[in-house]
Amino acid sequence: MPNIIACCKWVIDEAYIRKGPAGALDFSTVDYKISDYDRNAIEEAVCLKGLHGGSVTVLTAGAPEAAKGVKDALSRGAEQAFFAGDPSFNQLESSQTAAILGEIIRSRIPYDLVICGEGSSDQYAQQVGPRLAENLGIPCISYVQKLTIGEDGRILAERRVEEGVEVVEAPLPVLVTVLPEINTPRIPGVRDTLTASKKPVVAIKKEELPPVGAARLQTMGMTATRMERNCEKFAATPEEVARFVGALQKLGVIS
Amino acid sequence: MPGVWIFAERNDLALELLTVAGGLASQTGVKVTAIVPDQGDQADRCIAGGADEIVLLSPLGEDMSLAAWIPVIAAEAKGADPDILLIAATARGKDFAARLAARLDTGLCSNCTALHREGDGTIVMERLAYGGTAVDRVSCSTRPVMATIPPRTFAPAPADTGRSGEIRKLPLPPSTPVRVIARKTKDRSSQDITEAKTVICVGRGMEKEEDINIARQLAELVGGEVGCTRPISEELHWLPDDLCIGLSGVQVKPDLYVGLGVSGQIQHVTGIRGVRVICAVNKDENAPIFQAADLGIIGDLREVMPRLIEELKKATGR
Ligand SMILES: Cc1cc2nc3c(=O)[nH]c(=O)nc-3n(C[C@H](O)[C@H](O)[C@H](O)COP(=O)(O)OP(=O)(O)OC[C@H]3O[C@@H](n4cnc5c(N)ncnc54)[C@H](O)[C@@H]3O)c2cc1C
Repeated sequence: MPNIIACCKWVIDEAYIRKGPAGALDFSTVDYKISDYDRNAIEEAVCLKGLHGGSVTVLTAGAPEAAKGVKDALSRGAEQAFFAGDPSFNQLESSQTAAILGEIIRSRIPYDLVICGEGSSDQYAQQVGPRLAENLGIPCISYVQKLTIGEDGRILAERRVEEGVEVVEAPLPVLVTVLPEINTPRIPGVRDTLTASKKPVVAIKKEELPPVGAARLQTMGMTATRMERNCEKFAATPEEVARFVGALQKLGVIS
Repeated sequence: MPGVWIFAERNDLALELLTVAGGLASQTGVKVTAIVPDQGDQADRCIAGGADEIVLLSPLGEDMSLAAWIPVIAAEAKGADPDILLIAATARGKDFAARLAARLDTGLCSNCTALHREGDGTIVMERLAYGGTAVDRVSCSTRPVMATIPPRTFAPAPADTGRSGEIRKLPLPPSTPVRVIARKTKDRSSQDITEAKTVICVGRGMEKEEDINIARQLAELVGGEVGCTRPISEELHWLPDDLCIGLSGVQVKPDLYVGLGVSGQIQHVTGIRGVRVICAVNKDENAPIFQAADLGIIGDLREVMPRLIEELKKATGR
Protein backbone atom coordinates (compact mmCIF):
# COMPACT_ATOMS: atom_id res chain seq x y z
CA MET A 1 0.00 0.00 0.00
CA PRO A 2 1.81 3.05 -1.22
CA ASN A 3 2.34 6.22 0.76
CA ILE A 4 1.95 9.00 -1.76
CA ILE A 5 3.00 12.63 -1.49
CA ALA A 6 1.45 15.17 -3.84
CA CYS A 7 3.29 18.50 -3.99
CA CYS A 8 1.37 21.64 -4.76
CA LYS A 9 1.97 25.37 -5.10
CA TRP A 10 -0.33 28.25 -4.22
CA VAL A 11 0.03 30.74 -7.05
CA ILE A 12 -1.26 34.06 -8.30
CA ASP A 13 -4.13 33.50 -10.70
CA GLU A 14 -2.65 35.04 -13.82
CA ALA A 15 -6.09 35.92 -15.16
CA TYR A 16 -6.30 38.72 -12.55
CA ILE A 17 -2.99 40.42 -13.30
CA ARG A 18 -3.60 43.82 -14.87
CA LYS A 19 -1.21 45.59 -17.14
CA GLY A 20 -0.32 49.15 -16.18
CA PRO A 21 1.42 51.81 -18.23
CA ALA A 22 4.92 51.26 -19.62
CA GLY A 23 4.97 47.52 -19.13
CA ALA A 24 4.13 47.64 -15.43
CA LEU A 25 2.29 44.72 -13.85
CA ASP A 26 -0.51 45.46 -11.42
CA PHE A 27 -1.00 42.72 -8.83
CA SER A 28 -3.32 44.78 -6.59
CA THR A 29 -6.49 42.87 -7.47
CA VAL A 30 -5.11 39.38 -7.87
CA ASP A 31 -6.61 36.22 -6.51
CA TYR A 32 -4.77 32.99 -5.80
CA LYS A 33 -5.29 29.37 -6.80
CA ILE A 34 -3.70 25.96 -6.57
CA SER A 35 -1.46 25.78 -9.60
CA ASP A 36 -3.53 24.15 -12.35
CA TYR A 37 -1.53 21.00 -12.94
CA ASP A 38 -0.92 20.39 -9.23
CA ARG A 39 -4.63 19.60 -9.08
CA ASN A 40 -3.90 16.75 -11.48
CA ALA A 41 -1.08 15.64 -9.18
CA ILE A 42 -3.40 15.52 -6.16
CA GLU A 43 -6.14 13.81 -8.16
CA GLU A 44 -3.74 11.14 -9.38
CA ALA A 45 -2.54 10.47 -5.84
CA VAL A 46 -6.10 10.16 -4.57
CA CYS A 47 -7.10 7.86 -7.47
CA LEU A 48 -4.10 5.59 -6.84
CA LYS A 49 -5.00 5.41 -3.17
CA GLY A 50 -8.53 4.41 -4.18
CA LEU A 51 -7.05 1.51 -6.14
CA HIS A 52 -4.25 0.38 -3.85
CA GLY A 53 -4.94 1.80 -0.40
CA GLY A 54 -2.10 3.58 1.38
CA SER A 55 -2.11 7.28 2.13
CA VAL A 56 -2.05 10.67 0.43
CA THR A 57 -0.17 13.59 1.96
CA VAL A 58 -0.06 17.00 0.33
CA LEU A 59 3.04 19.08 0.76
CA THR A 60 3.54 22.74 0.07
CA ALA A 61 5.96 25.54 0.89
CA GLY A 62 4.97 29.15 0.48
CA ALA A 63 3.87 32.39 2.11
CA PRO A 64 1.65 32.03 5.22
CA GLU A 65 -1.35 32.91 3.03
CA ALA A 66 -0.84 29.60 1.22
CA ALA A 67 -2.68 28.02 4.17
CA LYS A 68 -5.78 28.58 2.05
CA GLY A 69 -4.26 26.43 -0.64
CA VAL A 70 -3.50 23.72 1.90
CA LYS A 71 -7.18 23.58 2.81
CA ASP A 72 -8.13 23.55 -0.86
CA ALA A 73 -5.74 20.64 -1.43
CA LEU A 74 -7.20 18.73 1.50
CA SER A 75 -10.70 19.20 0.10
CA ARG A 76 -9.53 17.30 -2.97
CA GLY A 77 -9.15 14.04 -1.11
CA ALA A 78 -5.75 14.08 0.59
CA GLU A 79 -5.86 13.06 4.24
CA GLN A 80 -3.14 15.19 5.74
CA ALA A 81 -0.90 18.07 4.81
CA PHE A 82 2.59 19.33 5.59
CA PHE A 83 2.92 23.07 5.19
CA ALA A 84 6.09 25.14 5.44
CA GLY A 85 4.80 28.70 5.59
CA ASP A 86 6.93 31.79 5.97
CA PRO A 87 6.83 35.30 4.49
CA SER A 88 10.28 34.67 3.02
CA PHE A 89 8.93 31.61 1.16
CA ASN A 90 6.75 33.81 -1.02
CA GLN A 91 8.70 33.87 -4.26
CA LEU A 92 10.93 30.84 -3.96
CA GLU A 93 13.08 29.86 -6.88
CA SER A 94 12.93 26.25 -8.10
CA SER A 95 16.21 25.23 -6.45
CA GLN A 96 15.03 26.61 -3.09
CA THR A 97 11.60 24.99 -3.30
CA ALA A 98 13.15 21.63 -4.12
CA ALA A 99 15.57 21.97 -1.19
CA ILE A 100 12.78 22.78 1.29
CA LEU A 101 10.43 20.05 0.05
CA GLY A 102 13.28 17.54 -0.03
CA GLU A 103 14.30 18.31 3.53
CA ILE A 104 10.73 17.94 4.83
CA ILE A 105 10.15 14.67 2.98
CA ARG A 106 13.43 13.12 4.09
CA SER A 107 13.03 14.07 7.71
CA ARG A 108 9.29 13.74 8.24
CA ILE A 109 7.23 11.84 5.65
CA PRO A 110 7.63 8.15 4.81
CA TYR A 111 6.83 7.73 1.11
CA ASP A 112 6.86 5.44 -1.89
CA LEU A 113 5.74 7.86 -4.58
CA VAL A 114 5.99 11.64 -4.99
CA ILE A 115 3.75 13.31 -7.58
CA CYS A 116 4.23 16.86 -8.87
CA GLY A 117 2.52 18.79 -11.63
CA GLU A 118 4.42 19.13 -14.89
CA GLY A 119 5.02 22.83 -14.25
CA SER A 120 3.48 25.62 -12.21
CA SER A 121 0.99 28.11 -13.63
CA ASP A 122 3.05 31.12 -12.56
CA GLN A 123 6.65 30.31 -13.45
CA TYR A 124 6.21 27.17 -15.55
CA ALA A 125 9.89 26.47 -15.08
CA GLN A 126 9.18 22.72 -14.91
CA GLN A 127 12.08 22.23 -12.53
CA VAL A 128 10.84 21.49 -9.01
CA GLY A 129 9.86 17.87 -9.77
CA PRO A 130 13.17 16.81 -11.36
CA ARG A 131 15.23 18.84 -8.85
CA LEU A 132 13.32 17.29 -5.95
CA ALA A 133 13.98 13.79 -7.31
CA GLU A 134 17.71 14.59 -7.36
CA ASN A 135 17.48 16.01 -3.86
CA LEU A 136 15.85 12.78 -2.64
CA GLY A 137 18.18 10.64 -4.73
CA ILE A 138 15.32 8.80 -6.43
CA PRO A 139 14.44 8.25 -10.10
CA CYS A 140 12.35 10.89 -11.84
CA ILE A 141 9.79 10.19 -14.54
CA SER A 142 8.51 13.45 -16.00
CA TYR A 143 5.68 14.42 -18.37
CA VAL A 144 3.59 11.39 -17.46
CA GLN A 145 0.19 10.93 -19.10
CA LYS A 146 -0.64 7.51 -17.64
CA LEU A 147 0.45 5.90 -14.40
CA THR A 148 -0.05 2.40 -12.98
CA ILE A 149 1.34 0.70 -9.91
CA GLY A 150 1.89 -3.01 -10.54
CA GLU A 151 1.37 -5.79 -7.99
CA ASP A 152 5.11 -6.17 -7.66
CA GLY A 153 5.33 -2.58 -6.38
CA ARG A 154 6.83 -1.33 -9.61
CA ILE A 155 5.55 1.69 -11.38
CA LEU A 156 4.63 1.76 -15.03
CA ALA A 157 4.41 5.18 -16.65
CA GLU A 158 3.71 6.51 -20.11
CA ARG A 159 5.66 9.70 -20.62
CA ARG A 160 5.06 12.04 -23.49
CA VAL A 161 8.07 12.94 -25.58
CA GLU A 162 8.36 14.67 -28.96
CA GLU A 163 8.09 11.57 -31.13
CA GLY A 164 5.32 9.95 -29.16
CA VAL A 165 5.28 7.98 -25.95
CA GLU A 166 8.02 6.36 -23.90
CA VAL A 167 6.71 3.58 -21.66
CA VAL A 168 8.97 3.23 -18.64
CA GLU A 169 9.12 1.03 -15.60
CA ALA A 170 10.86 1.58 -12.26
CA PRO A 171 10.86 0.23 -8.73
CA LEU A 172 9.42 2.53 -6.03
CA PRO A 173 10.29 5.02 -4.62
CA VAL A 174 9.96 7.27 -7.64
CA LEU A 175 9.00 10.86 -8.37
CA VAL A 176 6.70 11.55 -11.31
CA THR A 177 5.52 14.81 -12.84
CA VAL A 178 2.11 14.62 -14.49
CA LEU A 179 0.54 16.20 -17.54
CA PRO A 180 -3.00 17.59 -17.29
CA GLU A 181 -4.39 14.86 -19.53
CA ILE A 182 -3.68 12.18 -16.92
CA ASN A 183 -7.05 12.76 -15.23
CA THR A 184 -9.82 15.28 -14.63
CA PRO A 185 -9.43 16.87 -11.20
CA ARG A 186 -12.55 16.71 -9.06
CA ILE A 187 -14.36 19.88 -8.07
CA PRO A 188 -14.63 19.81 -4.27
CA GLY A 189 -18.17 20.02 -2.90
CA VAL A 190 -19.37 21.75 0.25
CA ARG A 191 -18.90 18.57 2.28
CA ASP A 192 -15.36 18.13 1.03
CA THR A 193 -14.57 21.66 2.13
CA LEU A 194 -16.07 21.04 5.56
CA THR A 195 -14.19 17.80 6.15
CA ALA A 196 -10.99 19.43 4.89
CA SER A 197 -10.96 21.80 7.88
CA LYS A 198 -10.86 18.78 10.23
CA LYS A 199 -7.90 17.11 8.55
CA PRO A 200 -4.47 17.34 10.19
CA VAL A 201 -2.03 19.95 8.94
CA VAL A 202 1.57 19.70 10.13
CA ALA A 203 2.91 23.25 10.14
CA ILE A 204 6.66 23.56 9.76
CA LYS A 205 8.42 26.75 10.75
CA LYS A 206 11.33 28.14 8.82
CA GLU A 207 13.46 27.82 11.98
CA GLU A 208 12.87 24.07 12.04
CA LEU A 209 14.52 23.73 8.64
CA PRO A 210 18.16 24.13 7.66
CA PRO A 211 18.86 27.60 6.23
CA VAL A 212 17.56 27.98 2.68
CA GLY A 213 20.31 28.84 0.21
CA ALA A 214 20.26 31.89 -2.02
CA ALA A 215 18.15 31.83 -5.16
CA ARG A 216 20.21 30.54 -8.07
CA LEU A 217 18.40 32.81 -10.51
CA GLN A 218 17.73 36.47 -9.81
CA THR A 219 14.94 38.39 -11.49
CA MET A 220 16.35 41.63 -12.85
CA GLY A 221 13.05 42.94 -14.11
CA MET A 222 9.63 41.90 -15.28
CA THR A 223 7.68 43.60 -18.03
CA ALA A 224 4.14 43.04 -19.18
CA THR A 225 3.86 41.59 -22.66
CA ARG A 226 1.98 43.81 -25.06
CA MET A 227 -0.78 42.88 -27.41
CA GLU A 228 -2.09 45.93 -29.23
CA ARG A 229 -4.92 44.82 -31.45
CA ASN A 230 -7.84 46.48 -33.19
CA CYS A 231 -10.56 44.51 -31.43
CA GLU A 232 -13.14 45.22 -34.12
CA LYS A 233 -16.29 43.19 -33.57
CA PHE A 234 -18.81 41.77 -36.02
CA ALA A 235 -22.19 40.14 -35.52
CA ALA A 236 -23.12 36.70 -36.85
CA THR A 237 -25.57 37.92 -39.50
CA PRO A 238 -24.86 37.21 -43.21
CA GLU A 239 -24.22 40.92 -43.86
CA GLU A 240 -21.77 41.20 -40.99
CA VAL A 241 -19.94 38.03 -42.00
CA ALA A 242 -19.65 39.46 -45.53
CA ARG A 243 -18.26 42.67 -44.06
CA PHE A 244 -15.78 40.57 -42.02
CA VAL A 245 -14.55 38.83 -45.18
CA GLY A 246 -14.28 42.23 -46.86
CA ALA A 247 -12.07 43.40 -44.01
CA LEU A 248 -9.82 40.37 -44.46
CA GLN A 249 -9.49 41.20 -48.15
CA LYS A 250 -8.61 44.80 -47.39
CA LEU A 251 -5.90 43.65 -45.01
CA GLY A 252 -4.56 41.46 -47.80
CA VAL A 253 -4.59 38.25 -45.79
CA ILE A 254 -6.86 36.31 -48.15
CA SER A 255 -6.67 36.20 -51.91
CA MET B 1 38.07 25.89 -18.02
CA PRO B 2 35.94 28.60 -19.61
CA GLY B 3 33.72 27.57 -22.49
CA VAL B 4 30.21 27.38 -23.81
CA TRP B 5 28.61 23.93 -23.86
CA ILE B 6 25.52 22.78 -25.66
CA PHE B 7 23.55 19.57 -25.38
CA ALA B 8 20.76 18.49 -27.72
CA GLU B 9 19.23 15.10 -28.38
CA ARG B 10 18.72 15.92 -32.06
CA ASN B 11 21.06 17.36 -34.67
CA ASP B 12 18.70 20.08 -35.95
CA LEU B 13 18.38 21.39 -32.38
CA ALA B 14 22.14 21.20 -31.78
CA LEU B 15 22.63 23.48 -34.78
CA GLU B 16 20.12 25.99 -33.40
CA LEU B 17 21.95 26.06 -30.06
CA LEU B 18 25.26 26.50 -31.88
CA THR B 19 23.96 29.79 -33.28
CA VAL B 20 23.66 31.20 -29.75
CA ALA B 21 26.69 29.41 -28.36
CA GLY B 22 28.92 30.66 -31.19
CA GLY B 23 27.88 34.26 -30.56
CA LEU B 24 28.50 34.06 -26.82
CA ALA B 25 31.80 32.20 -27.17
CA SER B 26 33.25 34.64 -29.68
CA GLN B 27 32.65 37.57 -27.30
CA THR B 28 35.07 36.12 -24.78
CA GLY B 29 37.20 34.05 -27.14
CA VAL B 30 36.34 30.69 -25.60
CA LYS B 31 35.63 27.32 -27.17
CA VAL B 32 32.28 25.76 -27.97
CA THR B 33 31.69 22.17 -26.90
CA ALA B 34 28.74 20.21 -28.31
CA ILE B 35 27.50 17.12 -26.49
CA VAL B 36 25.44 15.09 -28.94
CA PRO B 37 24.37 11.50 -29.60
CA ASP B 38 26.76 9.56 -31.82
CA GLN B 39 24.58 9.27 -34.90
CA GLY B 40 25.55 9.51 -38.56
CA ASP B 41 27.55 12.63 -39.34
CA GLN B 42 26.40 14.58 -36.24
CA ALA B 43 29.95 15.38 -35.21
CA ASP B 44 30.99 16.81 -38.59
CA ARG B 45 27.82 18.83 -38.88
CA CYS B 46 28.27 20.33 -35.43
CA ILE B 47 31.88 21.22 -36.21
CA ALA B 48 30.74 22.86 -39.44
CA GLY B 49 28.10 24.67 -37.35
CA GLY B 50 30.72 26.19 -35.06
CA ALA B 51 31.64 23.60 -32.41
CA ASP B 52 35.33 23.30 -31.50
CA GLU B 53 34.96 20.13 -29.50
CA ILE B 54 32.46 17.31 -29.90
CA VAL B 55 31.61 14.97 -27.07
CA LEU B 56 29.80 11.96 -28.49
CA LEU B 57 27.31 9.91 -26.53
CA SER B 58 27.44 6.30 -27.73
CA PRO B 59 24.07 4.71 -28.54
CA LEU B 60 22.36 3.43 -25.39
CA GLY B 61 20.71 0.04 -25.02
CA GLU B 62 17.07 -0.05 -26.16
CA ASP B 63 15.81 -0.09 -22.58
CA MET B 64 17.89 2.83 -21.38
CA SER B 65 16.66 6.40 -21.23
CA LEU B 66 18.62 9.52 -22.05
CA ALA B 67 18.66 10.34 -18.33
CA ALA B 68 21.30 7.62 -17.84
CA TRP B 69 23.82 10.18 -19.10
CA ILE B 70 23.06 12.69 -16.33
CA PRO B 71 25.74 11.50 -13.85
CA VAL B 72 28.34 11.26 -16.62
CA ILE B 73 27.69 14.73 -17.95
CA ALA B 74 27.48 16.17 -14.45
CA ALA B 75 30.95 14.74 -13.76
CA GLU B 76 32.26 16.18 -17.04
CA ALA B 77 30.83 19.61 -16.22
CA LYS B 78 32.21 19.54 -12.69
CA GLY B 79 35.62 18.68 -14.06
CA ALA B 80 35.72 21.22 -16.89
CA ASP B 81 33.72 24.00 -15.20
CA PRO B 82 32.20 25.64 -18.34
CA ASP B 83 30.76 29.16 -18.15
CA ILE B 84 27.52 28.41 -19.92
CA LEU B 85 25.52 25.26 -20.66
CA LEU B 86 22.61 25.42 -23.11
CA ILE B 87 20.20 22.53 -23.58
CA ALA B 88 17.50 22.04 -26.21
CA ALA B 89 14.09 22.20 -24.53
CA THR B 90 12.59 18.92 -25.66
CA ALA B 91 10.68 16.99 -22.98
CA ARG B 92 13.73 14.82 -22.24
CA GLY B 93 16.02 17.83 -22.53
CA LYS B 94 14.09 19.86 -19.96
CA ASP B 95 14.06 16.96 -17.51
CA PHE B 96 17.76 16.40 -18.13
CA ALA B 97 18.59 20.08 -17.63
CA ALA B 98 16.72 20.44 -14.34
CA ARG B 99 18.39 17.35 -12.87
CA LEU B 100 21.79 18.42 -14.11
CA ALA B 101 21.28 21.90 -12.63
CA ALA B 102 20.41 20.26 -9.30
CA ARG B 103 23.60 18.20 -9.41
CA LEU B 104 25.70 21.22 -10.32
CA ASP B 105 23.84 23.32 -7.76
CA THR B 106 23.28 26.10 -10.24
CA GLY B 107 20.45 28.15 -11.73
CA LEU B 108 18.56 27.20 -14.86
CA CYS B 109 16.46 29.52 -16.99
CA SER B 110 13.71 27.32 -18.45
CA ASN B 111 12.32 27.94 -21.92
CA CYS B 112 14.66 30.84 -22.50
CA THR B 113 13.70 32.85 -25.57
CA ALA B 114 16.50 35.40 -25.67
CA LEU B 115 19.85 35.87 -24.00
CA HIS B 116 22.73 38.29 -24.20
CA ARG B 117 25.87 39.30 -22.34
CA GLU B 118 25.85 42.66 -20.60
CA GLY B 119 28.89 44.93 -20.48
CA ASP B 120 29.88 43.60 -17.04
CA GLY B 121 29.78 40.03 -18.31
CA THR B 122 26.43 39.08 -16.79
CA ILE B 123 24.35 36.79 -18.98
CA VAL B 124 20.80 38.09 -19.04
CA MET B 125 18.16 35.56 -20.04
CA GLU B 126 14.50 36.13 -20.89
CA ARG B 127 11.60 33.85 -20.19
CA LEU B 128 7.85 34.14 -19.92
CA ALA B 129 6.07 34.29 -16.57
CA TYR B 130 2.43 34.09 -15.50
CA GLY B 131 1.40 32.10 -18.53
CA GLY B 132 2.85 34.69 -20.90
CA THR B 133 1.50 37.81 -19.16
CA ALA B 134 5.03 39.01 -18.50
CA VAL B 135 8.60 38.65 -19.62
CA ASP B 136 10.97 37.85 -16.78
CA ARG B 137 14.63 38.85 -17.20
CA VAL B 138 16.89 36.72 -15.04
CA SER B 139 20.56 36.28 -14.32
CA CYS B 140 22.41 33.47 -12.59
CA SER B 141 25.10 34.00 -9.97
CA THR B 142 26.48 30.45 -9.98
CA ARG B 143 28.44 28.46 -12.56
CA PRO B 144 27.60 27.28 -15.11
CA VAL B 145 24.81 29.57 -16.27
CA MET B 146 22.22 27.15 -17.63
CA ALA B 147 19.26 27.61 -19.95
CA THR B 148 16.91 25.40 -21.92
CA ILE B 149 16.02 26.81 -25.32
CA PRO B 150 12.80 25.85 -27.13
CA PRO B 151 13.09 24.40 -30.64
CA ARG B 152 13.04 27.02 -33.43
CA THR B 153 13.94 29.92 -31.15
CA PHE B 154 17.08 30.47 -33.19
CA ALA B 155 17.96 29.71 -36.81
CA PRO B 156 20.33 26.77 -37.32
CA ALA B 157 24.01 27.75 -37.55
CA PRO B 158 25.16 27.85 -41.18
CA ALA B 159 27.64 25.17 -42.21
CA ASP B 160 31.29 26.13 -42.70
CA THR B 161 32.86 22.89 -43.94
CA GLY B 162 36.35 24.33 -43.64
CA ARG B 163 36.28 24.20 -39.84
CA SER B 164 37.94 21.53 -37.77
CA GLY B 165 37.40 20.28 -34.27
CA GLU B 166 38.27 17.60 -31.80
CA ILE B 167 36.01 14.62 -31.30
CA ARG B 168 35.91 12.39 -28.23
CA LYS B 169 33.56 9.70 -27.01
CA LEU B 170 32.19 9.20 -23.53
CA PRO B 171 32.10 5.73 -22.02
CA LEU B 172 28.62 4.19 -21.74
CA PRO B 173 26.89 5.04 -18.46
CA PRO B 174 25.76 2.31 -16.07
CA SER B 175 22.12 1.26 -16.33
CA THR B 176 19.50 3.03 -14.23
CA PRO B 177 16.50 1.76 -12.26
CA VAL B 178 14.19 3.34 -14.86
CA ARG B 179 13.85 1.01 -17.83
CA VAL B 180 12.22 1.98 -21.11
CA ILE B 181 10.01 -0.96 -22.05
CA ALA B 182 8.35 0.45 -25.17
CA ARG B 183 8.52 3.44 -27.48
CA LYS B 184 5.43 4.31 -29.44
CA THR B 185 5.58 6.87 -32.19
CA LYS B 186 2.40 8.86 -32.43
CA ASP B 187 0.97 10.38 -35.56
CA ARG B 188 2.56 13.63 -36.32
CA SER B 189 0.79 16.11 -38.45
CA SER B 190 2.29 16.09 -41.93
CA GLN B 191 2.29 19.88 -42.03
CA ASP B 192 4.43 22.31 -40.10
CA ILE B 193 2.12 25.00 -38.71
CA THR B 194 5.04 27.15 -37.65
CA GLU B 195 5.73 27.81 -41.34
CA ALA B 196 2.09 28.27 -42.43
CA LYS B 197 0.85 31.53 -43.97
CA THR B 198 -2.59 31.02 -42.43
CA VAL B 199 -3.55 29.05 -39.33
CA ILE B 200 -7.09 28.01 -38.47
CA CYS B 201 -7.15 27.15 -34.79
CA VAL B 202 -9.65 24.74 -33.31
CA GLY B 203 -10.69 25.34 -29.69
CA ARG B 204 -12.92 23.54 -27.24
CA GLY B 205 -15.89 25.51 -28.57
CA MET B 206 -15.97 22.94 -31.39
CA GLU B 207 -18.74 20.60 -30.40
CA LYS B 208 -17.54 17.29 -31.80
CA GLU B 209 -14.52 15.78 -33.46
CA GLU B 210 -16.19 15.78 -36.89
CA ASP B 211 -16.48 19.56 -36.67
CA ILE B 212 -12.75 19.74 -37.28
CA ASN B 213 -13.64 19.07 -40.91
CA ILE B 214 -15.21 22.51 -41.02
CA ALA B 215 -11.92 24.00 -39.84
CA ARG B 216 -10.10 21.93 -42.49
CA GLN B 217 -12.50 23.16 -45.14
CA LEU B 218 -11.84 26.74 -44.09
CA ALA B 219 -8.09 26.11 -44.09
CA GLU B 220 -8.24 24.68 -47.60
CA LEU B 221 -10.22 27.63 -48.84
CA VAL B 222 -7.66 30.16 -47.66
CA GLY B 223 -4.60 27.98 -48.16
CA GLY B 224 -3.74 27.41 -44.50
CA GLU B 225 -3.13 24.75 -41.89
CA VAL B 226 -5.16 23.62 -38.89
CA GLY B 227 -3.79 24.10 -35.37
CA CYS B 228 -5.45 23.75 -31.97
CA THR B 229 -5.53 24.67 -28.29
CA ARG B 230 -4.06 22.40 -25.63
CA PRO B 231 -7.38 20.82 -24.53
CA ILE B 232 -8.03 19.71 -28.13
CA SER B 233 -4.73 17.88 -28.51
CA GLU B 234 -4.22 16.79 -24.95
CA GLU B 235 -7.54 16.15 -23.31
CA LEU B 236 -9.68 15.29 -26.31
CA HIS B 237 -6.88 13.91 -28.54
CA TRP B 238 -8.65 15.19 -31.64
CA LEU B 239 -5.41 16.49 -33.17
CA PRO B 240 -1.72 15.61 -32.65
CA ASP B 241 0.16 17.59 -29.96
CA ASP B 242 2.57 19.19 -32.37
CA LEU B 243 -0.37 21.29 -33.54
CA CYS B 244 -0.94 22.75 -30.07
CA ILE B 245 -0.27 26.49 -30.10
CA GLY B 246 0.88 28.35 -26.99
CA LEU B 247 3.10 28.34 -23.94
CA SER B 248 3.51 24.58 -23.84
CA GLY B 249 3.10 24.15 -27.58
CA VAL B 250 4.47 26.02 -30.57
CA GLN B 251 4.64 29.68 -31.51
CA VAL B 252 3.06 30.56 -34.84
CA LYS B 253 3.59 33.69 -36.94
CA PRO B 254 1.25 33.47 -39.94
CA ASP B 255 -0.27 36.46 -41.71
CA LEU B 256 -3.70 35.27 -40.63
CA TYR B 257 -4.89 33.32 -37.59
CA VAL B 258 -8.54 32.42 -37.09
CA GLY B 259 -9.52 31.00 -33.68
CA LEU B 260 -12.73 28.97 -33.75
CA GLY B 261 -14.23 28.45 -30.31
CA VAL B 262 -10.99 29.51 -28.64
CA SER B 263 -11.44 31.36 -25.33
CA GLY B 264 -8.08 33.11 -25.60
CA GLN B 265 -6.47 32.33 -22.26
CA ILE B 266 -3.06 33.93 -21.92
CA GLN B 267 -1.21 30.60 -22.27
CA HIS B 268 -2.68 30.21 -25.75
CA VAL B 269 -2.45 33.86 -26.81
CA THR B 270 1.25 33.78 -26.00
CA GLY B 271 1.69 31.49 -29.00
CA ILE B 272 0.04 33.87 -31.48
CA ARG B 273 1.67 37.13 -30.49
CA GLY B 274 3.63 37.32 -33.73
CA VAL B 275 0.59 36.85 -36.01
CA ARG B 276 -0.13 39.73 -38.40
CA VAL B 277 -3.94 39.58 -38.29
CA ILE B 278 -5.77 37.72 -35.52
CA CYS B 279 -9.42 36.77 -36.00
CA ALA B 280 -11.79 34.92 -33.73
CA VAL B 281 -15.25 33.41 -33.74
CA ASN B 282 -16.73 32.93 -30.30
CA LYS B 283 -20.25 32.98 -28.95
CA ASP B 284 -19.22 34.69 -25.73
CA GLU B 285 -18.69 38.39 -26.35
CA ASN B 286 -16.63 38.63 -23.16
CA ALA B 287 -14.18 35.90 -24.18
CA PRO B 288 -10.61 37.20 -23.72
CA ILE B 289 -9.76 36.27 -27.31
CA PHE B 290 -11.63 39.37 -28.50
CA GLN B 291 -9.14 41.56 -26.67
CA ALA B 292 -6.31 39.80 -28.48
CA ALA B 293 -8.03 39.87 -31.87
CA ASP B 294 -8.03 42.40 -34.69
CA LEU B 295 -11.35 41.18 -36.02
CA GLY B 296 -13.86 39.08 -34.13
CA ILE B 297 -17.25 37.60 -34.94
CA ILE B 298 -19.53 37.19 -31.95
CA GLY B 299 -21.72 34.20 -32.67
CA ASP B 300 -22.31 30.49 -32.55
CA LEU B 301 -19.93 28.52 -34.73
CA ARG B 302 -22.78 26.43 -36.07
CA GLU B 303 -24.37 29.55 -37.43
CA VAL B 304 -21.26 31.48 -38.43
CA MET B 305 -19.21 28.78 -40.15
CA PRO B 306 -21.55 28.05 -43.11
CA ARG B 307 -21.87 31.79 -43.72
CA LEU B 308 -18.16 32.37 -43.42
CA ILE B 309 -17.33 29.57 -45.83
CA GLU B 310 -19.92 30.82 -48.31
CA GLU B 311 -18.60 34.38 -48.19
CA LEU B 312 -15.00 33.21 -48.48
CA LYS B 313 -15.91 31.13 -51.53
CA LYS B 314 -17.42 34.22 -53.13
CA ALA B 315 -14.46 36.38 -52.22
CA THR B 316 -11.75 33.97 -53.32
CA GLY B 317 -13.66 32.63 -56.34
CA ARG B 318 -13.06 29.03 -55.25
C1 LIG C 1 1.03 26.00 -17.43
C2 LIG C 1 -0.03 26.02 -18.49
C3 LIG C 1 0.33 25.92 -19.82
C4 LIG C 1 -0.64 25.94 -20.82
N1 LIG C 1 -0.25 25.89 -22.13
C5 LIG C 1 -1.17 26.01 -23.11
C6 LIG C 1 -0.80 26.04 -24.50
O1 LIG C 1 0.36 25.94 -24.87
N2 LIG C 1 -1.79 26.16 -25.43
C7 LIG C 1 -3.12 26.27 -25.09
O2 LIG C 1 -3.96 26.40 -25.99
N3 LIG C 1 -3.50 26.23 -23.80
C8 LIG C 1 -2.57 26.10 -22.80
N4 LIG C 1 -2.97 26.06 -21.49
C9 LIG C 1 -4.41 25.99 -21.20
C10 LIG C 1 -5.09 27.35 -21.29
O3 LIG C 1 -4.98 27.98 -20.02
C11 LIG C 1 -6.58 27.21 -21.64
O4 LIG C 1 -7.18 26.33 -20.72
C12 LIG C 1 -6.84 26.69 -23.04
O5 LIG C 1 -6.10 27.42 -24.00
C13 LIG C 1 -8.31 26.80 -23.36
O6 LIG C 1 -8.59 26.16 -24.58
P1 LIG C 1 -9.90 26.51 -25.40
O7 LIG C 1 -9.94 27.95 -25.70
O8 LIG C 1 -9.94 25.56 -26.55
O9 LIG C 1 -11.08 26.06 -24.43
P2 LIG C 1 -12.04 26.89 -23.48
O10 LIG C 1 -11.31 27.78 -22.60
O11 LIG C 1 -12.96 25.88 -22.89
O12 LIG C 1 -12.86 27.83 -24.47
C14 LIG C 1 -13.84 27.41 -25.35
C15 LIG C 1 -14.46 28.66 -25.96
O13 LIG C 1 -15.38 28.28 -26.97
C16 LIG C 1 -16.52 29.12 -26.90
N5 LIG C 1 -17.63 28.35 -27.46
C17 LIG C 1 -18.24 27.26 -26.93
N6 LIG C 1 -19.19 26.81 -27.76
C18 LIG C 1 -19.19 27.63 -28.83
C19 LIG C 1 -19.97 27.69 -30.02
N7 LIG C 1 -20.92 26.81 -30.28
N8 LIG C 1 -19.72 28.69 -30.89
C20 LIG C 1 -18.75 29.62 -30.63
N9 LIG C 1 -17.98 29.60 -29.54
C21 LIG C 1 -18.21 28.62 -28.64
C22 LIG C 1 -16.68 29.46 -25.45
O14 LIG C 1 -17.35 30.70 -25.33
C23 LIG C 1 -15.23 29.52 -24.96
O15 LIG C 1 -14.73 30.84 -25.02
C24 LIG C 1 -2.01 26.04 -20.48
C25 LIG C 1 -2.38 26.13 -19.14
C26 LIG C 1 -1.41 26.12 -18.14
C27 LIG C 1 -1.84 26.23 -16.72
